[in-house]
Amino acid sequence: MNQVAHWQRVHPASPFVHGWIAIVGLLWIYWQNTDELSFAERFAGQRLFWTVVLAGAALLLVLFFYFLSWYFTRYKLTDTHVYVNAGMLFRSQKQARIDKVQAIDIAQPLVARLLGLAELRFDVADSSESVLRLSFLKKADTHDLRQLILQRAQGEQPVENPAQQPAEPATLNPLGEQHAGSAPLMAKVPAGRLLASLFLQLPVVIGALGCATMVILWLTGINGIIAGVLPILLTFGSYFYKQLNQGWNFTASATDSGLRISYGLADTRQHSIPAGRVQAISVTAPLLWRLLGWYKVEVNVLGTKSEDLDNLQVLPVGDFESLSRIMGILLPDLGVPNQREVLATAVKTGTDYGFTASPDRAKLLSPGAWKHQGFLVTQSTVISRYGWLARTANFVPHHRIQGTEFRQGPWEQRRELAGVRLHCAGGSIIGYLHQVDAQIAAEFTLAQAKRQVGR
Amino acid sequence: MTTTNPWSPNSFTPADPAYFKVKLITFSITWGLIFLASLVPGILFVASVDTPLWLVIIPPVLVVVIALLILRILRRQVLALGYLEREEDFVVRSGVMWRKQLVIPYGRMQYVEVNSGPLERRYGLCQLTLNTAGAGATAHVYGLPQAQGQELRERLVAAGEEKML
Repeated sequence: MNQVAHWQRVHPASPFVHGWIAIVGLLWIYWQNTDELSFAERFAGQRLFWTVVLAGAALLLVLFFYFLSWYFTRYKLTDTHVYVNAGMLFRSQKQARIDKVQAIDIAQPLVARLLGLAELRFDVADSSESVLRLSFLKKADTHDLRQLILQRAQGEQPVENPAQQPAEPATLNPLGEQHAGSAPLMAKVPAGRLLASLFLQLPVVIGALGCATMVILWLTGINGIIAGVLPILLTFGSYFYKQLNQGWNFTASATDSGLRISYGLADTRQHSIPAGRVQAISVTAPLLWRLLGWYKVEVNVLGTKSEDLDNLQVLPVGDFESLSRIMGILLPDLGVPNQREVLATAVKTGTDYGFTASPDRAKLLSPGAWKHQGFLVTQSTVISRYGWLARTANFVPHHRIQGTEFRQGPWEQRRELAGVRLHCAGGSIIGYLHQVDAQIAAEFTLAQAKRQVGR
Repeated sequence: MTTTNPWSPNSFTPADPAYFKVKLITFSITWGLIFLASLVPGILFVASVDTPLWLVIIPPVLVVVIALLILRILRRQVLALGYLEREEDFVVRSGVMWRKQLVIPYGRMQYVEVNSGPLERRYGLCQLTLNTAGAGATAHVYGLPQAQGQELRERLVAAGEEKML
């Protein structure tokens, strides 16, 4: 890869990706105004001449603005920064420091996908406006560019900005020595499994049953009900589509720097997640998935705000094998000798390998979940489990914890129970010790305070 | 009832007693307004608009009962506030019914703010907020005398720079 230190332009077709709507708009206006004419009338004599002239002029005008937009959009990549300049009247000049880049996405809206173009999105930690967009480039070029930037970002790892605290020197990636380019596939979600997994979630089951009921009611002649329920159906539909889109064609592969995931139904997205930037990991198994041994993995990553979901999904659905492969990349050091067995205990249930569970006194407060609730402190990580129908195990490395909070509600006080929350950055996943013995919780908080300042 | 805490409540620096007055005034204004709102059906009744009797009686009674219950623990709520500066981290505690102790290492601190509203200023108080990168790990210190608040802020910032992880 060459050193790209001079200003470059984006792909000439770029304005069209967002601007095609203007052309469609013009066509629509023409159609509206000539609605009463027959096809032959439109293209005859004087009318043909004017149509061609006006259409040509309009097209030229649109193309002229496209050209300006393209001409004034330039980018430059130096050893330390990415610069993107855009705009003719209102100029904007943005830059991002490469060592602050948290993650790089490749996004392909539908039109861009048809043209073979893609957009790079840089998630930057230091600015309030966290996303820098570079649109559009040829798809192959975006991959090269991202590879280059990630390498530079990785090279700068130890010189971390102090303001962005949780980033410690990156945990050593066992795949670090692998040569660039090859990206071994870690997990893949077949369409059938994705669909099955979606329909095995309680919200979807309830939603689908609701839809069926509506249709039956409608068929039996109760018409009024449809109008009232339509908004609910639409909400459900969009939720379902979001889930489908986030999981469709999902692949996760190991890269030098961490994990790369790609997914998408109409618009495809590609995220790169440097392993050293992961703040917390959550493994969830909804009720019906447990029968099949399926899990979902989500992470907190600084900077990356996926627009649709709270946390970044790194595995929409997968078995224990996929799970453990992904965990091996995101959290290579679990801090115990027998990682696999501990991981299995963490995502299932039980008190093997030193897990501390809720005492019997918690039975009344959490009748369904008390047996599952528990935690384990390892050399590097706190593993906490909670949840009744959907069981969750959260993994929080000690040096990522922003604050430890000891909490005790009125009912817990009476039963000498207490909880501890381990707050993390970059998303909603937290370490959550629920209803453990108050004495143990208090001791844990004291010990954790010591551990989280240890370096 | 025995209570278990990571850090003994006695080791914390408590909130200034004057903060109770601030809380009391805020409480009176909020619940006064709610009480006035609950009287609306009564006024309608007096103005001989047709209003069911239960609607006249129940809301004000309910409001008074809830307000009194809160008033009862208001002082204890203020007493439960406190902060503790330690070697490597900062601890705040709060809550009577839901008790909390939050510990944040100095090295995780992103920025510290000191704010004071008009009511707090009248009593020479301020409040300090310690922010980290995590939304949940935000420590609030209420009812600080203003001079003490500024000093605490400077100490925290200095400790944050020193203990940078």
